[in-house]
Amino acid sequence: MWWRSPSFILDREQQQQNDSVPPNPESLFLSSPPPSMADSLQNPKSNISAYYQTRAAHHAVVTSDWLAQAQAAVGSHTDDEESSGIDGRAAATDEDGGGGGGKAFSVIDEFNSWRKQPDLAEAVAAIFALAAVIRASQATTMMELEIELKKASDSLKSWDTTSISLTAGCDLFMRYVTRTSALEYEDFNSAKSRLIERAEKFGEISCKARRIIAMLSQDFIFDGCTILVHGFSRVVLEVLKTAAQNKKLFRVFCTEGRPDRTGLRLSNELAKLDVPVKLLIDSAVAYTMDEVDMVFVGADGVVESGGIINMMGTYQIALVAHSMNKPVYVAAESYKFARLYPLDQKDMGPALRPIDFGVPIPSKVEVETSARDYTPPQYLTLLFTDLGVLTPSVVSDELIQLYL
Amino acid sequence: MPDTQALVNDFLNQLKKRKIEGSQATAKQTAELLRSVISQTRVPYTNQAGALIDSVKAVGERLIAANPVELAVGNIVRRVLHIIREEDVSLTTAAMAGLNLSAVSDDEDDADRDDRPVLSAAAVAAASRSTLRPPSLQTLLEDVPDSAAVPHTSSSGGDSEGKSKSADKSSRSRKLKHDVIEAVNELIQDINTCHEQIAEQAVEHIHQNEVILTLGSSRTVLEFLCAAKEKKRSFRVFVAEGAPRYQGHLLAKELVARGLQTTLITDSAVFAMISRVNMVIVGAHAVMANGGVIAPVGLNMVALAAQKHAVPFVVLAGSHKLCPLYPHNPEVLLNELRSPSELLDFGEFSDCMDFGSGNGAPLLHVVNPTFDYVPPKLVSLFITDTGGHNPSYMYRLIADYYSADDLVVQRRPTSGN
Amino acid sequence: MGAQKKGATARVSEDPEELARHPLQAILLADSFTTKFRPITLERPKVLLPLANIPMIDYTLAWLESAGVEEVFVFCCAHSKQVIDYLESSDWSSQPNFLVATIESHNSISAGDALRLIYERHVIHGDFVLISGDTVSNMSLTQALQEHKERRKKDANAIMTMVVKQSKPSPITQQSRLGTDELFMAINPDTKQLLCYEDKAEYSKGFISLDKTLIADNPSTVLHNDKQDCYIDICSEEVLSLFTDNFDYQHLRRHFVKGLLVDDIMGYKIFTHEIHSSYAARIDNFRSYDTISKDIIQRWTYPFVPDVLCGNSAIRVERRGTYRASEITLSRSAQIGPFIVIGQGTEIGNDTKISHSVIGEGCTIGSNVTIEGSYIWNNVTIEDGCELRHAIVCDGVTMKSGAVLEPGVVLSFKVVVGQQFVVPAYSMVSLLQQPTQQDSDEELEYADSSSGNVELPSAKLNGDITSDLSETRHGPTSELGTGGVGYIWSIFEGGHDEEWRHSVAPIPTDKLAKIMLDKDEDEELLTQDGNVLSPSGELKSDSDANDSEDGDNEGSRDDYVSFEKEVEATFLRAVHENVKVDHVILEVNALRLSYNMASVDCAGAIFYSMMKLAVESPHSSSSELHRNAADVITTWQNLLKSFLHDIDEEIEVILKFEEICLESAKEFSPLFAQILHLLYDKDILEEDAILRWADEKEGADESDKVFVQRAEKFLQVRNELIMSIRVCIWLL
Repeated sequence: MWWRSPSFILDREQQQQNDSVPPNPESLFLSSPPPSMADSLQNPKSNISAYYQTRAAHHAVVTSDWLAQAQAAVGSHTDDEESSGIDGRAAATDEDGGGGGGKAFSVIDEFNSWRKQPDLAEAVAAIFALAAVIRASQATTMMELEIELKKASDSLKSWDTTSISLTAGCDLFMRYVTRTSALEYEDFNSAKSRLIERAEKFGEISCKARRIIAMLSQDFIFDGCTILVHGFSRVVLEVLKTAAQNKKLFRVFCTEGRPDRTGLRLSNELAKLDVPVKLLIDSAVAYTMDEVDMVFVGADGVVESGGIINMMGTYQIALVAHSMNKPVYVAAESYKFARLYPLDQKDMGPALRPIDFGVPIPSKVEVETSARDYTPPQYLTLLFTDLGVLTPSVVSDELIQLYL
Repeated sequence: MPDTQALVNDFLNQLKKRKIEGSQATAKQTAELLRSVISQTRVPYTNQAGALIDSVKAVGERLIAANPVELAVGNIVRRVLHIIREEDVSLTTAAMAGLNLSAVSDDEDDADRDDRPVLSAAAVAAASRSTLRPPSLQTLLEDVPDSAAVPHTSSSGGDSEGKSKSADKSSRSRKLKHDVIEAVNELIQDINTCHEQIAEQAVEHIHQNEVILTLGSSRTVLEFLCAAKEKKRSFRVFVAEGAPRYQGHLLAKELVARGLQTTLITDSAVFAMISRVNMVIVGAHAVMANGGVIAPVGLNMVALAAQKHAVPFVVLAGSHKLCPLYPHNPEVLLNELRSPSELLDFGEFSDCMDFGSGNGAPLLHVVNPTFDYVPPKLVSLFITDTGGHNPSYMYRLIADYYSADDLVVQRRPTSGN
Repeated sequence: MGAQKKGATARVSEDPEELARHPLQAILLADSFTTKFRPITLERPKVLLPLANIPMIDYTLAWLESAGVEEVFVFCCAHSKQVIDYLESSDWSSQPNFLVATIESHNSISAGDALRLIYERHVIHGDFVLISGDTVSNMSLTQALQEHKERRKKDANAIMTMVVKQSKPSPITQQSRLGTDELFMAINPDTKQLLCYEDKAEYSKGFISLDKTLIADNPSTVLHNDKQDCYIDICSEEVLSLFTDNFDYQHLRRHFVKGLLVDDIMGYKIFTHEIHSSYAARIDNFRSYDTISKDIIQRWTYPFVPDVLCGNSAIRVERRGTYRASEITLSRSAQIGPFIVIGQGTEIGNDTKISHSVIGEGCTIGSNVTIEGSYIWNNVTIEDGCELRHAIVCDGVTMKSGAVLEPGVVLSFKVVVGQQFVVPAYSMVSLLQQPTQQDSDEELEYADSSSGNVELPSAKLNGDITSDLSETRHGPTSELGTGGVGYIWSIFEGGHDEEWRHSVAPIPTDKLAKIMLDKDEDEELLTQDGNVLSPSGELKSDSDANDSEDGDNEGSRDDYVSFEKEVEATFLRAVHENVKVDHVILEVNALRLSYNMASVDCAGAIFYSMMKLAVESPHSSSSELHRNAADVITTWQNLLKSFLHDIDEEIEVILKFEEICLESAKEFSPLFAQILHLLYDKDILEEDAILRWADEKEGADESDKVFVQRAEKFLQVRNELIMSIRVCIWLL
């Protein structure tokens, strides 16, 4: 557990920062339209987690003309399999060319450049970034390369401690590097090329992952069922899309998902697939739960306990569902498996995000701006991952197998 | 080949007509059938495993379709497929181990064709092992998990093909088939002996002067209890009769014949009696991958009763009942509705079903489901022929018995709706 | 899966031992030899009609196969080509140890002919199962066969075992739930021997007569009206030879069974085997088609249910008995009720409501359609806004938007119903013209489909379509509205009563109410001592006609007439078969009870029938007539007396006599006095009865007095006697 303590300290000082910031400008700032990509790139240590800014950027936080933006996003949704994979490789190559000469190379920029494309998951972006590092590196032995990568990944992780999948991605890749280096190699270059090849392969796999998950989950969606969805998860959307394509007759309840209002976005998407969809305010979950047949959520990260870390509100939905004996299904790609073991809610770095209450909040009032919560495994029924359908206990087993 | 065809058709027929009863019998017959299928298949020089797998799959699919409710069929088919893959791999690794660097180098140029890691024998072994394990994070990085990842691609035998292709240069001609048949024989052996295997553990679980409750009749349970009895344990058994077929009566007969103190109760009396019970021991029809149990109807109630009074609920199941699928909507899809005549006499009620009067709609509807689904959280312990296991541990057993890309055999029929 | 229900376990243990000697054979009649399923059966044989989307014959064959039968001879006659083609295309022809052979004939017009033909082929050795191709069952034959064989060992004359099943007939309409007429079977409860077999067609005259010898030599006889004949017979070879011997046997039950029951020369016996847990029923008419379909959907026929029977195209049972094939395009707003079967590739539009129906494969159903208790076969097109209630719609039918089918409609193949057209209830629609003059079920679909082969109807059919189209072009002259194609068959006379009895539609409540009203018989009498009767349909209908026009006294009067007829019939039978007097008394009492008449009426009636007998017995002169009357009276005086308990009855007799002389038999009028005297001498009549009668007549007008005067002399004698006695008393 060496890794948790530093992140803790980090959180602390972040908190202090938040409190130190004068309230009035903050509220002003918050009420202003969402921060663009640009300002999220500099000041990574702002009081708003970069993770959530990217989410915001990707998910086109709902504004007056959210419809239009949603349209655009969906347009790009259609061809996610190849596109990201392809231009991933393309970019990688020219990166290679440029990186050969210049010393000026930062993982962060690399990472951000990858992260720009809407459908590339953070973990993948991270791994691509690391791959670029390998290409750029002048290391001559496996050992050096490893050290270099370690540095890079650490800097990535520390750059945004709140993004779990980023951390997970880095860990995963580092793990692989150490494994390969363990196997004796004929010559260094082949090993290097091998690593890069792997990285790209990984990109493709992670793109395929959503299709796989969608496939796996089909059997569980039966005709006439009602599905409660919380938050906007690309995987969950993919699942529902596939179900609609398979002529399943089902309806969806979307929670509003304050303050990101992700529910509005999802409901919009579903309406396009003419799936009957109903919007609930987040507090109406328990009220509607008796009509619900199953709960579908995505995950920011899947932790070693088999529980998940997901958008704020997942935990309480899971609790309600459990108390009413409704299954809770989680759709998450395997690169979201993270080496965390949170023991309670406060146990991980809170990702903070602005909450717009419409009216200015007096400074004395404290606002809980944490964006996500931890749902313990006993409240989850099954996880649909690209590794297959898993029970929470299997997940923890997987992680242990990998990192022990 | 023709004679196996006849065998297959005959077996299909029996399955369709629901003539074979009990998962053990079904499992045994399936295994024997598949064995003969394998022995009949003439394998090409290259890619033997592929050929075997294909032929087994072809038959297996029809068998499963014949009676999708009898999960044992699918289980055995997958077991056999898994066996083939295992044998194949073991031979491959054996062969690869012998290969020198030259082999590696010319592997290297076809590396892009079939994307396998071009590593030393150890790596190959690791890779091939990983295809047998269910897909995991390692496979995610080490080896393209096409096999695991895309269970829906029609050519799910593809990767093993690739593997064996690369390894066929080694001299393993007839060996594979022989090994496979050997392994299948072992499997059949296991199925036959699973009762004894389970019964052996009886003493560890049943203690002096305990009260055991069971519902309906299961041969496994019978042998289990009797085994404990032979070990000089003295205990009492409550038998719930298990409506509507009242198998419990037969069980009570048997138990008394073996000199066990037996009490027969109605199913509805279970809650009343449970407080005096130390342990509930029941058989199962199938055990799903999440530890849920498909069991004779009425057991869910018993399980709930047991939970209410914190009585351990123990399920006995031979490993052939282990099903690698996750139950979705099990009450409907994995159930069999039998004839209502088991519940009431048609003649007596014929006037209730005179559609000539009224609006022609049948007012009386008799439902007679065969199975219950007991969710994993109600099960305290599974006792299989390999020992006792926690429900959450079931997936591990399944990982040992089945290889992930065989699920496809079953998935086709179930993904109908 | 645990053990299985009795039937199946028996089935498993079946084949080896007792069937091993010779393969168990079965004769399957793939032709019903009736016209109940007109007009459908003009174009397709009955056995190929889909039952829950599976041809009937498949159910039958599947059962035979699983019941351990090894050889089946399918006898096909009408549309034999279709049947044979089907069997060859299906996988029945390629079963490992289940041989299906077809026997084709073109000139058989009845089951009798069929069996005769089969006999000539010499294919049947030993016992065999005789079944028709429209029977659904899941019973186990083992026990029945066992019993049959044992009986054979004991008694070579026990040549047949009939399978029966309990099924209560509706008390209101005398018909079983299968729409067949109420069936009476006299069975010996110990030996299970069948003693009498009466279905309604036979006893329409209102009562069943049991041969007294039956009652004599069977210590106990139970007469059931709640047994359903499953039309599954286990026969010995003799049966076939019997058919060849008596070439006039046509119908299996009406001729063969009854024939055996009545003739006691050969002394052949028929026994019954009752099944309880398992199911067996025959599709005899549209109602039974409906009923059995519902039984199948409710899984009484397990394992012969759609989802098990056709493993290949995966049909799945869902909650509330909904059977759905895999590829169905179902609109989200469609409301699919309980007990539905939906076949492969069917499309159902928005807001369509379906309940208790079977829908075939490849159908296209528009939006806002209402389908209720209907049977829709394959490739049917139903456009928006149609309504179907309790109808049968055959392959390839098209219903234009807004068309309506009222209950009981049958649309035969490829019919087109025009827009907004309402097909009246119970009407049969076909592309084929209605064959001229069909009257009864006796007649065979073979004889008048003008020649057996299938080509001709089809050719005719095309012709029809074209012609109809042309005529629709001219104007909406088609019988089925604009753009409609097909002929509505006229409901043939006499059938009208049957329409509601045998159609798929449930019996309308007003009908039920009407019958209820007509009913005046109580149940427990139905099976009272060997002599049963129940008023027949015709009787009721005209009686209620009377009811409607004038009061119930008229009705009762009318009753009395029929009662008198009954009594007379009984009496005559008694005379001819010289039944013992007390038997007759019993029977007459039974009659009296069931008609709830007073014993007065009995007396009258009996006397009436006696006199009638006297008159009818040949006589030239009045003297002979007198003699006749005399010995009739003398022979039957006890009978008469037993009903003359008090004076009123005697008077009644005299009045009756008077009436006879006036109306029915004028011949008696001269003899009135003598016979009166005779009656007095036989002291059937007390004298004061006669006097009272005379006094009553005092007030009457002349015409009425005529007989009083006739009897004057006799009366005077009486009076004088009385006088003199009185005088003596007075003198003393």
